[in-house]
Amino acid sequence: MKVSEEGQGIGASLLPILEKLPFLSRCAKTRGWHYVIGWLHRLTGIWLVIAMTAHIYNLSPAPTAKMKIPALPIFAFFAWASSLAAGFHALNGGRLILYELFGNRNDAAMVRWTFGLSVAYAAMVGFLMIAKNQSASALFFWLTAFFAGVVTAYAVASRVWKTRHSAPWMLQRISGAFLLIAVPAYLLFLYLNPGVADHARAAVARMQDNVFTGIVFLALAAASLYHAGYGLFSVMADYVASRRARAGLTALILAFIAVLVFFTFRILSI
Amino acid sequence: MSKSYSLTLTIRRFDPDASRRWFQTYTLSTGPILRFVDLFRRINVEQDATLAWTSSCEHAQCGSCSVKVNGRPMLACELLVENAVNLFGTTKFRIEPVTVAPVVRDLVVDWEKAYERVHRAKPYLIEPKELPPGMTEHRISPGKIARYEEATRCINCFCCAEACLSSCRNFIGPNAAMAGIVRMMDIRETQKEERLDLLYSEEGIYRCHTSKACSHVCPKEIDVAHFIALAKEGAF
Repeated sequence: MKVSEEGQGIGASLLPILEKLPFLSRCAKTRGWHYVIGWLHRLTGIWLVIAMTAHIYNLSPAPTAKMKIPALPIFAFFAWASSLAAGFHALNGGRLILYELFGNRNDAAMVRWTFGLSVAYAAMVGFLMIAKNQSASALFFWLTAFFAGVVTAYAVASRVWKTRHSAPWMLQRISGAFLLIAVPAYLLFLYLNPGVADHARAAVARMQDNVFTGIVFLALAAASLYHAGYGLFSVMADYVASRRARAGLTALILAFIAVLVFFTFRILSI
Repeated sequence: MSKSYSLTLTIRRFDPDASRRWFQTYTLSTGPILRFVDLFRRINVEQDATLAWTSSCEHAQCGSCSVKVNGRPMLACELLVENAVNLFGTTKFRIEPVTVAPVVRDLVVDWEKAYERVHRAKPYLIEPKELPPGMTEHRISPGKIARYEEATRCINCFCCAEACLSSCRNFIGPNAAMAGIVRMMDIRETQKEERLDLLYSEEGIYRCHTSKACSHVCPKEIDVAHFIALAKEGAF
């Protein structure tokens, strides 16, 4: 029996800081670092659902007082922390797709890349938040990001489409592959606008300047809402055994997503 | 002279007659190479004859002595005191029954309930292929066997199911899923549809989130997550 495995692989080479934290190291000893990462994926996913809800609500037409909220420093920090969560969730999702669908078993290296790139991405977003007033062509930016997202999604779709998986599960993977590129790109785009560096509404308005970027915004919203809805359902389905309770909670998730869809359409009507 | 340890075992007790649950602490002075089943036996003889626990082969082959030690599912017959102290960095251990089946008494669970999941996965050849003419056996190349031989070491101790991120309330469980997968990899099996229906159901692989806790805790060092990922990849 292996009892010294915490001294090898991921435990030894990757997470020396996390290993010093009492709760995390205890979890890692009992279930392994991938288990800890699995929970981090769930928690960042739930964080992102909350962040997306706040973002959609904030962007939808509303009294002026509401629009002042993001100017508070705590919300700037919340926005930055969300970029860290988004980077980690996206990259870890990419790692899971590579492991599950593309047979990549070099997982220790993938975990290192996930953590490293997440921090690098959050640092880049933080830099742009501080630097402000950056300028980028919305059309060029989204042409590049959208193309990369669609290619990634296509690669995953071509892999799973002929399998026996259920359509909702396949769509979760395909939307995840698209969002893996599109969400980090969107968060970057929010801070790439001249004169409106922390003004999300102006950034979204720029996306509706032409038909193409408008379609990109719709695709991003649709993929995000589907991915969030199925993600919540999946977590619920793991723990709720009663059929009646599952049906009730599924209806609740659907209603929640429907409300977000309603607010998204209100953004488009600006 | 061999090392001696002063251990504190805090064991979760359950008395079904009184429907009472509580934690009871026992202290023992012991050498490094005693196993946890030996500690339970010593508690029975020296301190408390009422403590109930299970074991059968005590050679890590039957899986009946699975318990949670400081939260980690392990085989009590395989865990040496010294290894446990090194792994957890403490001489204090909290021992609990696994939760994959109802507790009968103290550390004893109703394994038959847990096995119901494995029975549903049919861990045998449902409809073996006919033998080739003139042959008395199927010949499988070493290369083909090597793909799944590791999975045949599974003893159904349910440590993987206990550790699983998705809690195994609604998941058939990593060991049961693997039991179906390994038979699909066997070239002698012709009946795959039934297994695929179970695997690609809501209680099948959709409840697996590749947290790989199953591979981490497996006493037989089987990479369970790898076999489940093969099903996700659509390899069958």
